[in-house]
Formats: sequence, structure tokens, C-alpha cells
Amino acid sequence: MPATLLNQEHHERFDRLQLAALVGLMIIGTLFVYSATMANPAMAALPWYDQSWLRQIVWYALGIGAGAALCLLDYHILARWSFVVYWATIIFLFAVLIPHIGSMRFGARRWIDLGPFQFQPSEFAKLAFILALAHFLSRPADELRLPGNFWKGIGLLLLPFALTLKEPDLGSALVMLPTGLVMMFVAGTPKSYLLKLVGAVGLLAALFLVDVLFVPPGWWQISMEPYQRDRLLVYFGRDYTDFAAPNATPADLQRLRQQQLDDEYNVRQALISVGSGGLMGKGWRQGTQNALGYLPRAVAHNDFIFSVFAEEEGFVGSMLVLALYALVLFTGLRIAGQARDRLGRLVAVGVVTLIFSHVFINIGMNIRIMPVTGVPLPLLSYGGSSVLGSLIAVGLMQNVHIHRKGY
Amino acid sequence: MLIFDELKKNDPQLRLVAMVLAAGLFILLAGLWWVQIVSAREYESHLETQSYRTVRIPAVRGKILDRNGRVLAENQPEYNLGLYLDDLRKQFDAAYGQALARVRAVQAQRIAAQEKKLGHSLTKVERRQFALTPEEREQLREQARFQVASEVVRQVSERLGQPLALNEATFDRHYDTRRALPYPLLVNLNPTQIARFEELYSGTLGVNLDLQAVRVYPFGTTAGHLLGYLQRDDSSEQGEDASFSYRLPDYRGAVGIEGGFDAQLRGRAGAEAVLVNNMGYRQSTAILTPSEPGHNVVLTLDMDLEQAAVQSLVQRRGADARAAVVVMDVRTGDLLAMVSSPVINPDYAANDPQYLSDPKLRPQINRATQENYAPGSIFKPVVALAALEAGLDPNATVNNPGYVYVGRRHIADLAPPGEYNLRRAIIHSSNTYFITIGMRAGIENVIRMGEKFHFGERTGIPTRQETAGIFPTLEQVQGTGWRDGDSANICFGQGEMAVTPLQMAVAYAAIANGGKVLWPRLVERIGSQDPASSEAPTVFPSGVVRDELGVPPRDLKILRDDMLAETEDPEGTGHAAVVPGLRICGKTGTAQVMNEHNQEIDRTTWFASFAPYENPRYVVVVMVESGTYGGPTCAPIAHDIYEEILKKANPGTPRTLARTN
Repeated sequence: MPATLLNQEHHERFDRLQLAALVGLMIIGTLFVYSATMANPAMAALPWYDQSWLRQIVWYALGIGAGAALCLLDYHILARWSFVVYWATIIFLFAVLIPHIGSMRFGARRWIDLGPFQFQPSEFAKLAFILALAHFLSRPADELRLPGNFWKGIGLLLLPFALTLKEPDLGSALVMLPTGLVMMFVAGTPKSYLLKLVGAVGLLAALFLVDVLFVPPGWWQISMEPYQRDRLLVYFGRDYTDFAAPNATPADLQRLRQQQLDDEYNVRQALISVGSGGLMGKGWRQGTQNALGYLPRAVAHNDFIFSVFAEEEGFVGSMLVLALYALVLFTGLRIAGQARDRLGRLVAVGVVTLIFSHVFINIGMNIRIMPVTGVPLPLLSYGGSSVLGSLIAVGLMQNVHIHRKGY
Repeated sequence: MLIFDELKKNDPQLRLVAMVLAAGLFILLAGLWWVQIVSAREYESHLETQSYRTVRIPAVRGKILDRNGRVLAENQPEYNLGLYLDDLRKQFDAAYGQALARVRAVQAQRIAAQEKKLGHSLTKVERRQFALTPEEREQLREQARFQVASEVVRQVSERLGQPLALNEATFDRHYDTRRALPYPLLVNLNPTQIARFEELYSGTLGVNLDLQAVRVYPFGTTAGHLLGYLQRDDSSEQGEDASFSYRLPDYRGAVGIEGGFDAQLRGRAGAEAVLVNNMGYRQSTAILTPSEPGHNVVLTLDMDLEQAAVQSLVQRRGADARAAVVVMDVRTGDLLAMVSSPVINPDYAANDPQYLSDPKLRPQINRATQENYAPGSIFKPVVALAALEAGLDPNATVNNPGYVYVGRRHIADLAPPGEYNLRRAIIHSSNTYFITIGMRAGIENVIRMGEKFHFGERTGIPTRQETAGIFPTLEQVQGTGWRDGDSANICFGQGEMAVTPLQMAVAYAAIANGGKVLWPRLVERIGSQDPASSEAPTVFPSGVVRDELGVPPRDLKILRDDMLAETEDPEGTGHAAVVPGLRICGKTGTAQVMNEHNQEIDRTTWFASFAPYENPRYVVVVMVESGTYGGPTCAPIAHDIYEEILKKANPGTPRTLARTN
């Protein structure tokens, strides 16, 4: 009976249910990175050891290794080092902004080039931030009533947030906000503070959107990368031509319209992929959207992997993936509930919120309930930094579980 | 719903988090349900009707013309034979149907054999092993397609009388990735093939001719350096759409006019939308944005002069001569000819790579603008001007014993020993005289005069092939590292200075035109390719003055008279340049090229001149590497060019141009 299985007190060392769900996700990830990339003749022509799916498996193995290694140490020891790690990642986030260190790809400076592979400090900054904030918030609840501590917590959040936003990696920066907020809430930060904070963030977000969507060019506008602004405009269905310079020629307007078509194209193709999957899907490697290159090949295997999956496996497959994520998330919350102390509880809640934010934003943008921001789908999207980050995060959660109450 | 003991416990915060998570997942589930179940039908139909591919269509590149409208670079159509897959689709399907029927027949026989063996008809499950797998079907389809295409190719090949082969791998790859575009069967058909094809085969069976523009240079290698060359580059320019499904071949200028005016010549690429169905076949095409043709660039060059200069160089010095010629209009700064030898073919692929990388010939550099040369004696008029400014009496004499000492350094003088005034010194190119008057006037004055001529600075021609030369600054000559020997070197155009032939042309033009240092002009105007266009051409102004020498006309007149004597006096070193009917002012030069041990390893020979004396109009500078002396090596080449100038001025009888306007 699932209910009893879920509700019994656990005595094994690892949370097996969560691990099983993770293995399921990794299998799906491998299969569909394979499906997404083999449809691309250029990628399929690569020798087997250069294939994305194999690399993904290697990253899984490395990630499992790293996550398991983390479990060897009590998370209290990890937490003691959390600020060292936190500042180290902050240094990396600074470094990535420096032209000769950070490498540009697709118009953003997010990667540090280490020769054979590049790594993306923002993926690890999220984890360091969770550990550091958990460590900071694990002080007695009374101390959290002090405004000074509240602001320090906000500072811990804003520093990596601002740096990742600067790269620009809007997605990675955005997922930090709910993670930080939920952790503060669970730590017992007074409601009045939190309400004010949520209000302030909401107000800023609203002002930001109004500025982006309605203020014509020439007026005061927040500086953003053009593609980010375009994505927001696409999401909110605004016309690009409304934002043309006042002296734009008809040719310019025509170009803007074309640009809009191109930008909407990706989103529309993703939606057609998901929608045409129907109930049962077209079967593994039978998706035409991806095979014929309608889904842009550069993103089909990472940010839009869900489109490939949903087209080929249909609504049934989508439910399966959602169920697997739900298992990971709720076992995570169970780990939080059983944690030995506030520190463990906060770490687990942080990781759960982080994973949830990724899942929500990523799947959301595939079905157009969220704007397109480059957020990977944990464990399914292709990408070393993302896979490593996700598995290390899960490792932290398991660590809390291993060292839970009574053990 | 997953409900845990923990959440039943009094843990309101985690319970709230769990509720938010559950709500979020529920939203996703609802969204997916909406997209995948409720709207699935709609998206499936989208799948069938949607989708266009964009093809980047490069614009027609502008022409390059000379000042008389002769074409130096233009586009010619190249005809390619393309296989249109969308037209063959029905045949693909039919061939597949036949192949399938054949396979099924075989399977039916095997089923029958099996049934006979077992003695009963097969059950559904037993039959399944004889069914085709999707992979087998796909393979059949592929074979059928290739078979149909090969048959078409065979027919075309037969009728064209040209063996054609279809490579299965490339064909499959094309089918997979570029299905909406024709498959290129044969590129660059010759006129016979085109005629045969049009006659026998036009419009049938999915084969058709495609046009593609190729760049041609009617004058071959003439002015090749100036024209530059193109490189294959299909990528989008700045501000252009970046997301094309396909790109047709396009080119970008690398250097020369093709490079310097690439943006104007190139125009703006357009986009064609190819509507495709869900099988990826082309259904229709529409122009999304038309390409804007590039502009024509009209040069100031006169191809007659350019060709005469090339011809003279080849005749007198051979094709391997390392040399340059610049002909400029002294009044407007218009460059009428600019030759660099050895030549380079603007059709870059036609150059022999070994020849291009020859370390001695170095055909890639434009010797008229891109290489530093010691001017030698042709710099002496500048020294003379500085000395005249400082109060030199042109008639006062200097004794030349056949050598001169600067400090303890002995400098030989090739001019015969004797008394020299300015005229005699120019005619015989006496080093002693110019070192003496230059040192007397002071090196600072010589440098100031050189700065007015803008030596050591680029002349700003737009070919991306220019070096600034070398010229010492005032601070340098006043500094501690500067010796008298260095000053002496400058006085006869050696040592710490270097010029390009173009810089010398600008300098001599200034002496000829009364003291105006001009910006040379290579491009006259840029205008629309369409003669009926209402667009006003961009005209580059001529005769733009960069600097005034600010010397009295009397001084320039003295120099001109003396330089006239240099060619007209039978003893003058430049006598070989003389053309009857045209009075030429000139100066020869022979500069030594030294190695690091101060030994002569080569010579740069020069002849710099202008004509007609009465009303100067043309400046001609000839430079030859490894010549003997400026007089015998370079002056005859200038002579040939002046003859051509004269011939052009009086087409009937090759006589006097003197005293025109």
C-alpha cells in the first residue's frame, strides 16, 4: 500500500523512495537526451564517445559520486564551511563577469572555460546560497526577530541574486528568490517582515513589468539584454513595433515584425510539440517537431527537453514526470519534517523549493504559462553543471535524512 | 495526495509549503491537461499546416567601375542544375508503394509456405513475425527515394552527355536536413550544357536550372591589389536576422575596395519563406523581405593608364618585378593608376597558393601603399624646400670633393667632384650638397617641412592596405639618442625614415600644385546599381586639402625649374623619362637597403615626377625593388606612362599636350 509505505517511520539509511524517483528521472533524462540529439544529423554523426546522451550519463555518474561523497560528512560540518563556499562562489560569480575569464555563449557571460568543459558558477552558487542561508537562519527563532538579522539574511540572498542577474542569467537569479523566501518563512522569520518583503518584491516586479511592457523607448527604461526584453514581450503578447524608435523606417518596422515572428517561433513550436503529443504521445524517437528541426536544435536537448518528452510520451508521460518530481519534492519535505534540527530542516526545505522552482518555471515555459527564461529541468535537461548541481542538492537532502532524529 | 505524518503534526510552516508545492504541481498538471488533452487536436492540425523555413538570399553585389565607366568587377550568372525533391514526392511514394508491395508479396509467399508446413492458417500472433518493423519501412522508403532520384539523374546525364553520379550518403543527408531546397546535381554548367538542357529537358521531372551570381573581374589581375578579393561568408550581418533555416552562399570582401566598401557593395540580404508541410517538403515560397542590391563603387582610376603602367612594368622588368607605380592628378588628388607588382588575382581561388606565399615575391602586399621604403634622393626636394625656407641661396655653391664627413663618418658622393649649386646638385643628385645645406638649415627645419607633407602618416585610402611609413618627430631629433649622422641620413632620404610610393606621389603633387598637400581620392562616388534610381549617389569630394606647405611660390618655382632640368638636361639622371611634346619635372632616387651589419643587401630605385611643367597635372611615381639606379630602371617606365597620357590627350597625333588649359 503506497499510503503505508509513505507514512511509515523510516529506518533505512537513505530515503529509498526518493532515490528511486531520482533514478527514474535519470533514466528518462538519458533516453530523451538521446532522442533529442539523435534526430539532429550533425549530432548523430558524432562518434559515440562524443554523444550528448553518453556525456549525460557520465555527468550523472559524477553527480552521484559527488552527492554520495557529501553524505559521508555530517551536514553540520558542511554548514560550518558554508560561508567559505558561499564567498568562493561569489568570487566565481564575479570572475565570470570578467571578459577574459568568463566565456560568452548565446550573448551571456555565464561560463568559466576550463579547457575540455565549461562550468557555470551560478548553478553552484544556488547550492552555496542555500547552505549559507540555512546556516545563518538556524540560529534561535528569537534572534530572527531582530531587524539586523533580517536584513543580513536579505543581503545573503541579494548578493548572488544580483551577480547572476548581471551575467545575465535571469532564470538562475529568479529561482533564488522563492528559495530564500521560503527558507526564511520556515525558519520562523516574523510574518510582518515577510509580508513586507513579499509586498516589496511584488511591487518591484510589477514596476519592472510595467516599465518593460508599456514604457516606450526613449523614456527611462531598465537596461536589459534585448533578448530578455523580447522574451517578456512575447510572453505578454505585446507588439514589438510599439517599441520601435520614433524615427523607425517602414523597413525597420518590417524587421521588428520578422524578429517577433522568429522569437515567437520557438515558444509556438514548443507548444505545438507538447500539444501534438496528445494523450499517449507519438512514441520514443517518433516526434516530428524535433526530428524536422522545428524545435530549435540548440535548445531541444536542454531547456526544451520537456517538449521533446511530452511530444513523444503524451499526457501520460507528462503525468509520470510530474509524479516523479512530486515524489522527490514531498519526500524532501518529509526529510525536512524529520530533520534533527533547524539547520537540517532548512537545508531540506531550501533544496525542495529550489527543485520545485526549476520544475515549475521550466515546464511552465514549455506550455507557455511562464515566460522563457533559461532554466533547466533538473536531471532531464542536458548539461553538466545543472546535473551536478541537482545531484549535489539531492545529496544534501539525503545527508539531512541520514543524520535525522534518533540516528 | 501525499500526506505525511509530519504534516499532520503541528508543523504549520511545512504544511503551508507542502500546500504551495501541491498547488504548483496541480497548476502544471492542469496546464498540461489543457494543452495535451483539450487542445491536442488543434495543435495536431497546426503541425500539419504550419511551418515555414526561411532562406537567406544574398543581395546582388554592386559593381566596381573605373572613372570612364569600365567595369572592374561585376557579377555573372552561374547556372546550377538542381533536383527539386518536392516535385519528385509522388514518385517517391509510388516507388515506395511498389517496393512495399514486392516485400509483402514475398512475405505472403513465406506465410503460405509456413501455413503449408503447419497445416493450418496462421493466427494473428503468428502472423506478426512477418510484419515489417518501422525501421524496415524507413529503409524501404530511403531506398525508394534514392532509386527514383538515381533514375532521374541517369536520364539527365544521358541527355546532357555528361556522366553524373548521385552519392547516396550526401543525398540522404540533403533529404534529412535541407529537404525544402533543391539538391545540387551539377554546378556551373557551360553554355552547351545549358542549351541542351533547355532544349531537351526543360521543366520536366523535378530538375531545373538555378541561377547563382559569381563575381568576375574582366581586367583579370590588373588593379588586383586595389580591388581586393572576396571570402565565403554566409553569416548574417549586424542588425540582420540571425535565425535562418538555410543560407545560400554569400561572400564578404576581405581587403581592397571589396573589403573597404564591403558594406556598400554588399547590400542587404533578403529572406525567402518556404512553406513546408509536415513531411518537410516545399509547398510554396514567398519573399519575406526582398534583398536590397548593393551599390556600385566608381573609382577614380583610369584603366588606360593602369594598363599602360602594368604593361610597361612587365615589358621592362618582367612579371616578377617587385615594383609599384602611382599616377595621381595633382589638382584633385584623384588616383589615376596604382599598380603593385607582382600581381594578385582578385578571383582569389585562381591564385597559386605557393605563389601567394612566396617569401620574396610577396604578391599579397600592395607595394604602392603597404610597404615601407627608404625614399633616397627623391626626398631631396623636401630638404631643398626646408633649406630655401631657412634662407638658402640657390645659386651659392658647395664644394663636393667626392665624399663628405659627418663627424667621423665618411659618406661617399657619386656625383663628380666640383662646385655645386642647387640645380647642379639636383641634376647630379649630390649627397654632399644636400647634407651640407640640410645640416646648415638645421634638422628641425627639415623635420618640420616633412611634417607638413605628412610623412609618417597614413594617406587614408580605403583599401585596408596602408602603412604609415616612418618619419622622425621633433622630440626624437632633439632627444639625446639622435646623432648628426642620423640627420645626415635624413638629408638624402635614408636612415630613420620610410615612405610609401603613394606618400611620395602626394608630396610631389604638393610641389607641383603650388603647395597643397591633398588627401588622395580613390573612390569617386557610390551610387545605386539601378540607373533609373532616384537615390542621389554619394560623391566623395575631390581636391580636399590636408595641409598647406606655406612656402613662397618662388621657392616652388625654383624647385620645379631644377627638376625640369633633371630630365631635360642631357646630363640629368632622369633623362630617360623624356617624352617629346611633354615637359616633365622629375627626380631619380636610389636608396640602399641595409642589413643589421650596415652592409648593402638591396636597392630601392625610384623616379618621382610630374608634368606638364607649365601647368602640372599628373604626378607619376615609379618604384622598383632591386633595380640598378633610379635613372635607368624607373625613368623609362615613367616615360611609357607619360606617352600614354599624351596619347590619350591627343588621340589623333601623339604630339604636344603642353600648354593645354
